[in-house]
Amino acid sequence: MSTMETADERKIVTFSLGEQVFGIAMSALIEIREWEEPTPLPGVAHYIKGVTNLRGTVVPVVGLAERLGWPASRIHSRSCILVVSIAGKQAGFLVDEVADIVSIKESEVRPAPDVDVNEPNVIAGLVKITARDAGDAGDNGTMVLLLDLNALALTRQFDLAA
Amino acid sequence: MSDDLDDIQAIFFEECAEGLATAEAGLSAMAAGDVSAGVIAGVFRAVHSIKGGAGAFGHTALTAFAHRFENVLDEVRANRIAPTPGVTRVMLSAFDILSDHCAAAQGTAAVPADAAMLAVLEEVLATGGAPDQTAAAPAPAPEPVPAAPVDEDPFGFQPVAIGGLEDFDLAPSEPAGWTVRFTPSNAAMAHGGEPLLVLRELELLGGQVTAADLSALPPLAELDPEMAYIGWTITLPAEVAEDAITECFDFVAPDSVIEIVRCGGDPAPAPEASAPAPAAEPVVAAAPAAPAASAAPAPVVAAVPSVPAPAAKPATDDAPPPRQADPVAQSIRVELTKLDMLLNLVGELVIRSSILSDRLSPKDQERVELPQLSRLTREIQDTVMSLRAQPIKQAFSRVPRMLRDLSSATGKQVELETFGETTEVDKGVIEKIGDPLTHMIRNAVDHGVELPADRIAAGKPAHGTIRLSAEQRGARIFVRVADDGRGIDRARVRAKAVEKGIIAADAVMTDEEIDQLICAPGFSTAETISNISGRGVGMDVVRSNVEALGGRVEITSMPGKGTVFTMILPLTLAILEGMIVRLAGQRFVLPLANVVETVQPEPGQVKPISTSGEVLELRGNFLPVRRLGNIFGFASNDALPPEESLVIVVESESAGHVGLMVDTIDDRREVVIKSLDQNLHPIRGLGGATILGDGSIALILDIEAMVASSNPRFIPKGLAA
Repeated sequence: MSTMETADERKIVTFSLGEQVFGIAMSALIEIREWEEPTPLPGVAHYIKGVTNLRGTVVPVVGLAERLGWPASRIHSRSCILVVSIAGKQAGFLVDEVADIVSIKESEVRPAPDVDVNEPNVIAGLVKITARDAGDAGDNGTMVLLLDLNALALTRQFDLAA
Repeated sequence: MSDDLDDIQAIFFEECAEGLATAEAGLSAMAAGDVSAGVIAGVFRAVHSIKGGAGAFGHTALTAFAHRFENVLDEVRANRIAPTPGVTRVMLSAFDILSDHCAAAQGTAAVPADAAMLAVLEEVLATGGAPDQTAAAPAPAPEPVPAAPVDEDPFGFQPVAIGGLEDFDLAPSEPAGWTVRFTPSNAAMAHGGEPLLVLRELELLGGQVTAADLSALPPLAELDPEMAYIGWTITLPAEVAEDAITECFDFVAPDSVIEIVRCGGDPAPAPEASAPAPAAEPVVAAAPAAPAASAAPAPVVAAVPSVPAPAAKPATDDAPPPRQADPVAQSIRVELTKLDMLLNLVGELVIRSSILSDRLSPKDQERVELPQLSRLTREIQDTVMSLRAQPIKQAFSRVPRMLRDLSSATGKQVELETFGETTEVDKGVIEKIGDPLTHMIRNAVDHGVELPADRIAAGKPAHGTIRLSAEQRGARIFVRVADDGRGIDRARVRAKAVEKGIIAADAVMTDEEIDQLICAPGFSTAETISNISGRGVGMDVVRSNVEALGGRVEITSMPGKGTVFTMILPLTLAILEGMIVRLAGQRFVLPLANVVETVQPEPGQVKPISTSGEVLELRGNFLPVRRLGNIFGFASNDALPPEESLVIVVESESAGHVGLMVDTIDDRREVVIKSLDQNLHPIRGLGGATILGDGSIALILDIEAMVASSNPRFIPKGLAA
């Protein structure tokens, strides 16, 4: 899915989670909304924090930190939910803070490093960006981990039909 | 271009499907004894429009067959062939072939061999059906079937009666109702304004071309084939509404000359001596069977020679008014996704307006006329909801034919009983239960119902009965296929499952679990693979389709008595009447259909019976009580003693009456069900979610699954994930 963009360039949304900066494809983003406590659901995976109302649609809210196997994010004033579309389904991801929208070059994306997440294939690659407003565009760029949203799709984790 | 054509073809096939459904419903009604003219005309129209469309797309085999079929129907409609049971049977068989032809045209089946059927139809045409009854129908000569849009109708409008009229060139005394002069502009053809189409339309209204103005026609050498040169004079019967005539010219090139003149308004020369009433109201008197005529004040209807039908056919007073030109309800096709979008937006609108009414004081609400706005919003919502809901009849309608096919293929006699056909289900659900339903019916006939001899030997009537029923219960639709056949042979099912490696030879299984095996992929007990069933792809398709819809399949079987397959489906977009209860700060919707009563327990009325269970003593009975908090594993209301909680007694299929303990009841209202699996996956125990007035989400409880799931097998599994 990362090769779908035209030419070499594509836009990503960057956000922070814990100490890390992540990026997701801009094309998948539906909206960014403030954190609002979702309605909890019974009998779902622990990282599904509940469901929320997105313009009349019931959308699950996922704690991205928990999803990656990290301790749950602390909710603060800049916490927000990135609502994205994954394979036709909508889901909200709780992140610590949305940073920016940047263009990256496909050729600059490096293979995924060995990041401590509980699932393989979640990190599609690594790219270095330089902060837009940083005075010197020297070496102090930020490393952004590109997330593969498809690997985060909410599939059923247990088979009820069994 | 070919894409466009494909699109149009797709619409044609959709129309075919609808037409077939209409025809089948009509024929079934006829078979059941309702041979009223309206029913017959409905079948005729359906077959006719299939023929028309097929002709346009060049499906010659289909067209030819439909034409023959239509001829017979036309005769029946005109009372020249009596709709005896024999004739109806022939037509049912013809219908089956017609459906096959449609499928063939669509490329999903081979072209059926229809020669035998055609011969039978011809015979019916030739002999007039059952000879005993035909005499009763006095065949009036040229039958004017005006309701039918027939362009090649052999009984169409012969200009017999008006013959010679052109001689006096539409003199004012001409007894016809309307005179239309139509001269297409020169550029009409270039604009796609084919005059022939207009003339055909007019003809359908009963019009006849009485004169053609060839004066503008140039010599052959100068003739430009793309120019229109000819003008026509068309007469139409008086009772045709002016609107209907002008409508024919809707798509005519702008510069065309169109004159529509009502003429022959002079009542005196009406030659029909039988018009007894004075000039003011002879229309009604002279044409009692043509109510449409009352719309046209011209008192000359009786004199219009092209409507002999009412007078000539006294025997068919119950016939539909012959000239209800467009009795067909007007409809347009809309993509379902657009309806979905509309429904979502309207839902949002309703929620917004509730938020407003929550936030504004009653005085302010009045000032901004919020109540009116809210009422309007609700009405819009109801209307939009109704757009998507369709009676489940649509899914059931193909079953009778299937049963006929199955009966003749298996030699088993099966009667169908249907219940709850009017249950309204979301269109999406209806579309998706077609396949499962087919498999369930096949299965019931092939494996359930025994051969007549076996049935008699077992002390049952020779014909089996399949009951097809639908009902709504809370947030679920139950669709049942029940047969009175031999039931599931559990020993054989088990043996087959072992043989196919589906289960281990020493597996310990309950009867219910064995029954469920027939839904396992690849499972089949049929000894031979027939074209009905036996390939082992049947019941697992049922299960997977139903589960894909967020539903489940239940099987109950009694050896020797029969088997019941139940599809339990969510009512995805339905409205639910619910009780909103509160528990640990969260709100839930309890389907009102499940609620029996609400009890405020006295101290001591709820007693623990073990470490985990409690019972409510209610009028001498003990009901098990479940704590909603425990079932869902939420921070439970254990802190609240029972006497500060409420116990809602609910009724469930599997566990009878059960008490659910909640903190309090908030409200009772209709809620819009939003599915959880749209963006997530179905959750056992929940029938969906809804959005409350303040924009927050409340989960809708599925009592049945919840009560069943409070056996501990489910909960840890769910939470462990």
